[in-house]
Amino acid sequence: MISPVARERWIKFSRNLNLQLGLFMLGLLVFAIFVFPVLIAHDPLAVDFDSALIPPGADHWFGTDDLGRDVLARVAAAGLVDLQVVTVCVFVPFVIGSTIGLVSGYIGGVVDTLLMRLVDILWAFPFYVLVISIVGALGPSVGNMYLAFSMVVWISFARIVRGEVLLAKRQEYVQAAQVLGFSHIRIMARHVLPNVITPAIVFMMADVVLTILGVTSLGFLGLGIQPPTPEWGVMIAEGRNFILDGWWVSLFPGLAIVYVGITFTLLGDGLDDFLRPKG
Amino acid sequence: MTFFKKSTVLATVAMSLSLAALGVEAKTLRVGVSNDALSMDPIASSDNPSIMTQLLIYDQLVHPSKDGTKLEPGLAESWKVSADGKEYRFTLRSNAKFSNGRTVTAADVVYSLKRAAGEKSQWGRFFRPITSYEIVDDRTVVMKLDQPFTPMLNNLALFSASILPAALMEEQGEKFFDKPVGAGPFVLEQWNRGAKQVFTRNSNYWKEGKPAIDGAELQIIGEDNSRVLKLKAGELDAIVGVPFNQVASLKSDNSLNVGIAPVFRAELVQLNTSKKPFDDERIRRALNYAVDKDALVKGILRGNGRVATSSLPVMAYHNDDLKPYPYDVAKAKSLLQEAGYSGGLKLTLLVPSGSVTHRQVASAIQANLREAGVAVELQTIEASSMFSTTKAGNYEMALSYTTSDTIDPDQLVGFTAVNPERANAFHTQWKDARVNELYELERRTLDGPDRGKMFQEIESRVHDGAPFIFLYNQAETFASRKNVEGFQVLPTSNYSLEDVTVK
Repeated sequence: MISPVARERWIKFSRNLNLQLGLFMLGLLVFAIFVFPVLIAHDPLAVDFDSALIPPGADHWFGTDDLGRDVLARVAAAGLVDLQVVTVCVFVPFVIGSTIGLVSGYIGGVVDTLLMRLVDILWAFPFYVLVISIVGALGPSVGNMYLAFSMVVWISFARIVRGEVLLAKRQEYVQAAQVLGFSHIRIMARHVLPNVITPAIVFMMADVVLTILGVTSLGFLGLGIQPPTPEWGVMIAEGRNFILDGWWVSLFPGLAIVYVGITFTLLGDGLDDFLRPKG
Repeated sequence: MTFFKKSTVLATVAMSLSLAALGVEAKTLRVGVSNDALSMDPIASSDNPSIMTQLLIYDQLVHPSKDGTKLEPGLAESWKVSADGKEYRFTLRSNAKFSNGRTVTAADVVYSLKRAAGEKSQWGRFFRPITSYEIVDDRTVVMKLDQPFTPMLNNLALFSASILPAALMEEQGEKFFDKPVGAGPFVLEQWNRGAKQVFTRNSNYWKEGKPAIDGAELQIIGEDNSRVLKLKAGELDAIVGVPFNQVASLKSDNSLNVGIAPVFRAELVQLNTSKKPFDDERIRRALNYAVDKDALVKGILRGNGRVATSSLPVMAYHNDDLKPYPYDVAKAKSLLQEAGYSGGLKLTLLVPSGSVTHRQVASAIQANLREAGVAVELQTIEASSMFSTTKAGNYEMALSYTTSDTIDPDQLVGFTAVNPERANAFHTQWKDARVNELYELERRTLDGPDRGKMFQEIESRVHDGAPFIFLYNQAETFASRKNVEGFQVLPTSNYSLEDVTVK
């Protein structure tokens, strides 16, 4: 027995091509990252000068880099690293930003004014400038990268959620809960939050794209993940010097970034259609 | 306005006609280099790009020969050293002139060398052994020393001993270096920092018919590939620093000449011996055994270099009996165990950013040391802050190199082996009483086989003490278009442009 709600959702999903394609590509990505490294026998860190800069072929599908390391093994290993970093760099700001947005919008008054001015200040700085200066000042490391992204990205989530809260606050169901004498915390968590979080979840997908570009850019500049850990941005930067006689070293990590970008753009669009009520 | 334009056109036409008639055409050499100079003040420079530009615009009393084996006359047409080594008498050329037309006099020499030995000079210790000067006449100067100092003559060939116009310097002070005047083959006409340096020929240069070109332009192009592409496209006439992986393909290009210069240079990993575990010689030796230097030379330099035996480049009095530390992981492991570090070791290595070769070498060293049970964390650092960081002692290991500015080993012995000295054994703080003693002795001994033996003993003690991981002696690569003749990098890593011709 399928409930009418589930049935309606299934119909909605079956018509949502973006979401389907996005999920399919995400599945493929996860497969490539977790299963590939097991299937291919190459060690992403093994330096071997005798097999440096071998073009793509049967032995090395994506070729080898200047130190003789298998590019496919490195792209796959880098995928794991990059997705881990991106997950943290998106999820932590999502939680922090949504909470601040929720509290700020619900309480209002001086708290709201102060928090939103802080958001305005951070908003005034270009995203990359702020991230690069924070990482540059603290020194390149994964921990500092988490810190930099968390400090900068939460403002987007806070703004989105706060705007939704301001609307929801005036709705009858919230007022009813207040009249019933529920605690503010209960009202925020149980009544307001479920109704305001959708736009933030959708934005999270867009933020993945932004963050993957941010993380790989930092890697490219030497401020992100440090060698020999494979990372797409670092791989592109390293391959740049051999672009004339080894185009494959930079090309494949570049394609991987594009692939992840497309995947999460589709997911974001699809989720937006799927979750947002029509009308 | 119209009139002005017309006259310009007319003038241009007239000029090109007259030049065509004479069969002359302005010949400018465009050279692509990776880094810009920082300063034009010879006593305040120790970075190679500044040194190289200064050697183009200033001149010294004597010069190293092009093959780096002896000294040749420069502004001084002759010199005489007294038998006791305490008196140097120089006779200046009568036609030695600064680019502004003034004659180079003994007073200029005394002023410049006193300045080089002064408080503000980074190179003071190279000239302080001169205790007094005597200006005999405009063209003759006598320098007196309290005790013999054998490296003296070679030190006078250093860029920091450049002869500057005393009167002009007095008048302009530091502003002089905004528009410097020297007695070298070229005049710095324009300097767009970070972009290019434009030179014109010094028509007052003493060497007849030199330089053969009318001007030169150094273009600062950090990206190796861009430099190569610009050379291939004919936008540059010559470049310094061909990526090793492209040497072979450029050699097969018929429009180019590729050169490999065996410069006086040694690539090293500095080990901070004031920190644990580097205070233990066994650890330092173990690290030397753990790195596969042959693979670096073959794989990264593509054979354009040789494995190093010590921190001294292969130059005069090189100790040929020394053999490099062989690649021996088992030996490295047993030495580490002996020193009590069998449980693995975690170290950090500073790597200068921007250099492709250094990045590759760092990754290879990291992979090598992992085999021996040593985990290495790489720390990329802005190349320009590398020296100050290691000087302050804030490091464990640092990937670096040294080049010699003279053809005498004294400079680099003092720099990389002696402590206390200017750099305290190149910031490793390694100390060896016998090396210090030999250094004192070498400087008082007349040049010859006896002095050579001292250098060889120093080199062998550095090899055994291993304050560095000795990597390799890397050759400098350069390339020029076929219509350029005579462009080459000298053993002291600089390039002379006065003999270059462009067809």
